Amino acid sequence: MGGKYKTPMLDELEKGPWPSFVTEIKKAAKRTEMADDELGQVEKSYVTKRGYWKHGGIVGVLGYGGGVIGRYSSLPNEFPGIAHFHTVRLNQPSGFFYTAEALKMIMDIWDKYGSGLTNMHGSTGDLVLLGTTTENLEVLFAEYSSRGWDLGGSGSAMRTPSCCVGQARCEWACIDTMAICNEVTQYYQDQLHRPSFPYKFKIKVAGCACDCVAAIARADLSIIGTWKDNIRIDQAEVKKYADGGMNIQAEIVEMCPTACMSYDGKTLKVNDAQCSRCMHCIAKMTKALKQGKVKGASILVGSKAPIVVGSLLSWVVVPFMELEAPFDNLKDLADKMIEWWDDNAKPRERIGELIEVKGMRPFLEAIEMPPVPQQVKYPRKDPFFFWSESDFN
Amino acid sequence: MEQTEIQEKIFAYMQQMKGKKKLKEKDIIKKIMEESGDDKDTVKKALRAMIDVGKVMYSYGGGSSSVEIPSEEYLKEKGLI
Repeated sequence: MGGKYKTPMLDELEKGPWPSFVTEIKKAAKRTEMADDELGQVEKSYVTKRGYWKHGGIVGVLGYGGGVIGRYSSLPNEFPGIAHFHTVRLNQPSGFFYTAEALKMIMDIWDKYGSGLTNMHGSTGDLVLLGTTTENLEVLFAEYSSRGWDLGGSGSAMRTPSCCVGQARCEWACIDTMAICNEVTQYYQDQLHRPSFPYKFKIKVAGCACDCVAAIARADLSIIGTWKDNIRIDQAEVKKYADGGMNIQAEIVEMCPTACMSYDGKTLKVNDAQCSRCMHCIAKMTKALKQGKVKGASILVGSKAPIVVGSLLSWVVVPFMELEAPFDNLKDLADKMIEWWDDNAKPRERIGELIEVKGMRPFLEAIEMPPVPQQVKYPRKDPFFFWSESDFN
Repeated sequence: MEQTEIQEKIFAYMQQMKGKKKLKEKDIIKKIMEESGDDKDTVKKALRAMIDVGKVMYSYGGGSSSVEIPSEEYLKEKGLI
């Protein structure tokens, strides 16, 4: 099997030192007609500059509304192996940790019932399995679920929450990202598998402002670890950085987004009241600077990629929240946000877009949060006039 | 109202709307609540029971989900009939 099609244009994408998806599909094509026909169709797309995938429809496992995205070739006679080429999303473990044994088991099942092609991981965070048929879906799901795996979210549903590696591997994680991610995943199981929202809703948990899961750019609810007290400075280590050739003035002080740092050639100072906890200085001077000790998270809302309308970054609604298991304060806040959005949004309207339309005031009232200065997104964009009748009498 | 009666109403409404509008779970629940006078949870439970046996199914398109009556062809593919 394999080599059914000449693919001169795709072959170009194998050149160069980097890994190539074409090389991987060619390897899979030696075992499955699916991957071979996929190569043929993609090559044809490159030649004609047209896409030949159809997407959506009723396809999934019984009782679930998410986790499977129907995909079909619009040229099933020419490429019969990919007449069905459905995508399956597997809910990834928090922090993307797997044992080799687990990965092997996932792949053995996938080789048996699908194309063998994967995407680790999709932008939502799921382990994405690319290409299977409708008739294989139920048995595939049964195989995975019997081994403790579940499908992720898709469609107008809670999407699979994801998080960075957190305290498992990172000294900067201010919160237990993996525990939070696991807790909200369990808590929102019904909303994850049964799409009942106006559109998608994503939760991402980052341990610090380095934001390795891009929570601030991709999540409707971004939970980002931070601290409340002062940055801890070891001046002896600062000196070592300077002695080692670091230009502290240019690389640290002048790169500080809130201009809250100063350096006189001997002592590095931080005006913590002005610090936005962006992590730039700490990430550059790992031995000299440490986060404060009072740790929690900032809760932001509303980011999205530009699908229906333009992209948005998340907006601070809670500057600091302590997060301890079972995270009831977080779940309570998320419930209020979702309820307001569900009651007010048009179909395919994300929560960030709804806030842009209706304003921050009704949103803050609905989630019972007081307005605070940190919620101001841009200078002079101040939506917080909470006038009431009594102010005018 | 009995669950089977609610389910009949749901199915009738979905048949009536077939080809006219992609119905979200929420649209169906709202409509049947008005018709039957039952609360949200009761209607939701009745609808979910129909979804669980494949009487109606979730559908997906462009990142958005709706609930539809599946075709015979699809039910055969799934081994449900």
